[in-house]
Amino acid sequence: MAQFYPLRVADIKRDTKDSVILTLEPPADVREDFKFIQGQYLTFRRVFDGEEMRRSYSICAGVNDGTLRVGIKRVDGGWFSTFANEELNVGDMLDAMKPMGNFHAPLRPGEQRAYLGFAGGSGITPMISLIKTVLEAEPKSTFTLAYGNRSTTAIMFREELEDLKNIYMGRLNIVHVLESEAAEIELFSGRLDREKCDQLFSRWIDVKGADLAFICGPEPMMLAVSESLKAHGMDDGAIKFELFSSAQPGKARKRKVSADASQSGAKCSATVIIDGAARAFDMEKESQSLLDAARAQNIDAPFACKAGVCSTCRAKLVEGEVEMEANYALEDYEVERGYILTCQSYPRTDKIVVDYDQ
Amino acid sequence: MSGETDIQDYLAKGGKLSAPDNAPPRYRAELLRIMASFVDSELAGAAGFADLINAGPGVKEKIAASRIVMEKIDHAERVLNIMGEFGANTSRYMNVHPWGARVGREENIGAERRDGDMRLNVFHYPLSGWTDAVVMNVLMGRATVIQLKELFYCSYQPLGEVFHDILPRERRHAELGEEGVRKIIDTDPDQKTEVAASFDYWRPRVADTFGGEKSARYDLLNNFGLRHTGNESLKEKWAKEVESFFASVKC
Repeated sequence: MAQFYPLRVADIKRDTKDSVILTLEPPADVREDFKFIQGQYLTFRRVFDGEEMRRSYSICAGVNDGTLRVGIKRVDGGWFSTFANEELNVGDMLDAMKPMGNFHAPLRPGEQRAYLGFAGGSGITPMISLIKTVLEAEPKSTFTLAYGNRSTTAIMFREELEDLKNIYMGRLNIVHVLESEAAEIELFSGRLDREKCDQLFSRWIDVKGADLAFICGPEPMMLAVSESLKAHGMDDGAIKFELFSSAQPGKARKRKVSADASQSGAKCSATVIIDGAARAFDMEKESQSLLDAARAQNIDAPFACKAGVCSTCRAKLVEGEVEMEANYALEDYEVERGYILTCQSYPRTDKIVVDYDQ
Repeated sequence: MSGETDIQDYLAKGGKLSAPDNAPPRYRAELLRIMASFVDSELAGAAGFADLINAGPGVKEKIAASRIVMEKIDHAERVLNIMGEFGANTSRYMNVHPWGARVGREENIGAERRDGDMRLNVFHYPLSGWTDAVVMNVLMGRATVIQLKELFYCSYQPLGEVFHDILPRERRHAELGEEGVRKIIDTDPDQKTEVAASFDYWRPRVADTFGGEKSARYDLLNNFGLRHTGNESLKEKWAKEVESFFASVKC
């Protein structure tokens, strides 16, 4: 189960107009647990207007830097990112889970490997961690970074990247691709789309000689880069993806509670939504779980353990109330948002609507 | 901010995910189902095989059987850990089903998934002795290798990577089975009849683990980037492999 720890905000550095870099200190007794692997992220939680919000941000430090840092870019309408950019102060506490994530490859100190990194906007944050860690741990390896931004002023970690280039002279190569500025060389202006990648790979970046590629940015950019990499001969398994912008849940919508929450009669009229289709049927309130009732109607509802443990059968209760007999998988905040384990749920109201697509 | 439709489009076009945060609900459910099916099959398979360790005729066979049992449980744990990142309760999971439970040897449970755990149906049937276990291990071992390879490049990268890491050991399990079959026949050529009977018993049951030709689930998984090769072509590849092996030992 997810556990959160209070981290102290030790430093806040403004990086660009819209982004800050936070340095965080874990409590002494769990310091070891906050040791991270390059490319991992932290998940924060905070209550806004009585609703718990969770957001994940990549760690932007090398594994041996001795600090824990995250970079947070303000997103329009983003509750957490706006709070971090505008209201957070040094000395404040932030609740975070231990580092998680799989955006990395095992280090091979003796080998000479060529890495490629592709970042769009704030997708640079895990790259900072990868670049610092890899170049320090693998003294013979090189890293080429293609970094897309709207304009020079939007470039996060601009100075730090310059410093790294000086430290790792000849081993770190950076190509800035800017959308709204004409660069001296036409190759470096525009967006990291398929055409731009094809140009870069035929004239500037050696894909055939590369061992691994890391991509972090918005979806279209990630697809364009990976397609071009594959077209230039890179193996699918050598390309690592980290999608940073996400459909993370926004503010939770309260579920509607039926006006008639009486418990008259043993039947319930259930509606199940899955893969965009809604199906309605009557079921007995007590004899069958919602999952079993849906499956008896030949609805292909997902499930695995049927014991309230694995969470495969999770769905959102849009209307009505259910009794969950056991719940070993959903967390309190998910339950508050209306999520239920359908294998453990029995209707309490005469009407329920359950959505597996949410 | 990108919405859920964008992510579905991204997945359909070959994009990949590396953390639970971005997984759309239906994708999450299908991915968990794939993982649960693997974990449950490994645990049920290991439980069935564990009973046969003592039936191994020599020290080498007992060691091989023990090793297969240990490694299958280890593989289950690795995938279960990924399920844990999605919220599954990993400590409780291990004991939530009786992994050693089996149906009758001659019962026909078809290909429909049964209630209870998510093991592949082939793991609901009991092994009838050492030779039977070794033959089953060859057939299912080869199937596992093909099924794991199919998921190497699935859109959930951490799972693809675990499958990549465990493949050499799963392949070795199948090879140990093949060595076992050869040894059984070398030691006692009369055992050929028993090997052939076990082959006939397990072959259709293992073939069913590949799923049907027209599968709505396959289309859904394909759209999510979780599957890429149709059930039928995987099954054909497997059938060729196992038939050529059993022909080579003249069974």
